[in-house]
Amino acid sequence: MPPGDLDRALCGIEFPTDSNVLVGLDRADDAGVYKVTDDIAMIQTVDFFTPVVDDPYWFGQIAAANALSDVYAMGGVPKTAMNLVAFPIKEMDIAILRQIIQGGLDKMTEAGVVLVGGHSVEDKELKYGLSVTGFIHPDRILTKKDLKAGDRIILTKSLGTGIVNTAVKGGLASADVIQRVTRLMATLNRDAAHIMGHYPVHACTDITGFGLLGHLAEMISDMPFGIRLMSQEIPIIPEAVDYAGMGLVPAGAYKNREFRECMVDFAPSVDRIVQDILFDPQTSGGLLIGVQKDKAGELVAELQEKGIQEAAIIGEVMAEPEERIVVH
Amino acid sequence: MTKEIDCRGLACPAPVLQTKDAIEKEHPNVIKVVVDNEASKENVSRFMGSQGLEVSIKQEGSNFHVIGKMGEGTAAEEPVHEKPETGQKKIMVMVANNRMGHGDDELGEKLMLSFLKTLKEMGDELWRLVFVNNGVKLTIEGSDVLPVIQELEEEGIHILVCGTCLTHFDLLNQKQVGETTNMLDIVTAMQLADKVINI
Repeated sequence: MPPGDLDRALCGIEFPTDSNVLVGLDRADDAGVYKVTDDIAMIQTVDFFTPVVDDPYWFGQIAAANALSDVYAMGGVPKTAMNLVAFPIKEMDIAILRQIIQGGLDKMTEAGVVLVGGHSVEDKELKYGLSVTGFIHPDRILTKKDLKAGDRIILTKSLGTGIVNTAVKGGLASADVIQRVTRLMATLNRDAAHIMGHYPVHACTDITGFGLLGHLAEMISDMPFGIRLMSQEIPIIPEAVDYAGMGLVPAGAYKNREFRECMVDFAPSVDRIVQDILFDPQTSGGLLIGVQKDKAGELVAELQEKGIQEAAIIGEVMAEPEERIVVH
Repeated sequence: MTKEIDCRGLACPAPVLQTKDAIEKEHPNVIKVVVDNEASKENVSRFMGSQGLEVSIKQEGSNFHVIGKMGEGTAAEEPVHEKPETGQKKIMVMVANNRMGHGDDELGEKLMLSFLKTLKEMGDELWRLVFVNNGVKLTIEGSDVLPVIQELEEEGIHILVCGTCLTHFDLLNQKQVGETTNMLDIVTAMQLADKVINI
């Protein structure tokens, strides 16, 4: 759901809490975290959506990579998962569902996660995703909110999947782009998360529906700092620029802009198309990492060396202006 | 001829696709697309702009009328000149930068000058020369390679210059050679060409 609508729906409802809830609804992070013992905390998350690519096997992989990502973004390790399936059984061949589930399962196996159950309903619209449980040491939880002034911001996947998916829906994307972007979306954030575990990382989230600027806005809301972004350094899928120029921008990107543009200052040199890409909702996007300034170069170098070639330092946390994102 | 499409109630990218279809199939002089949300308004007007149309927007109640007019240099008014020789290869050269290659800028500029001077060695097979993005800067007054491109044009090579790009760099009035073109012309040319060379 668009960010503003969800806030309106939840506004005024009181949610009970528990002293063992380390990260709960009040903080609205990537996943919930519950302390089991002094050494073990459990991470829980759920995510499902309608198909973003035509190939059912790849859709299964992407949906699973996307659901697992929330655990990685908290710094944790996913262990078990349950399938969530909504399927139009009267209109669609059951073989399609089999391929989706196989895709999801293969991605879970790659991640070292075991499938322990699931739930399915009949629905006019196909949906698939996972509920995932992971674990972490209670002292090592990474939330969105612990950035420090001076931190460098690192992004680990290129932006523009929402725009490319819109072009795919319109039949205007080339086979080559579809293949590259499908693989990008199906790539686990596991390796990036594992590598960042060895560095002084202060905060982390993953980029999904709110777009880069929406997720950055969450990281600085009600905090005594802002962010300066260098748009030239941000990795972008080259074709997304062409498609955005043709008007193939998903409605979600405009909704994200409407909701967050009050927090963003664009330098005049930042093209409108680039602005839209920074608001573009991502499917199974990369990690957004806030790392101690003097270690940022080393972290990016290691990410690139270990196959995450798009990883780049895209900005920094500034003491001033507070709660604003300045894009150059 | 005015074409009107009602895209109310449709989600992205459907309004853009319907607009694209109508422009490609019917080549209207004026196209009016009615939409009922901001995202579609923005996307349809952007698509029309990318096709070289002159775009205006009128709000009526909760609907927007996005109106595109074929202006100078767009597909409907300027028939494409073909090189008629049959059985001969058609080579299209697309120049997307004002320098050749990456690395040293000064060297890149010299190489581009030399490349365009040597291009006529392709002979009659050289069919179209298309300038996009930074490449359009080669076609404006003060460009070192301008005389070379003008010479190619005199020899009958069809020179196309991207209108969106000229507008982007605010150079529309400074262009000294070739025809202002749009993405539809460029894509059509790519399809007609036997070979497309990207520089």
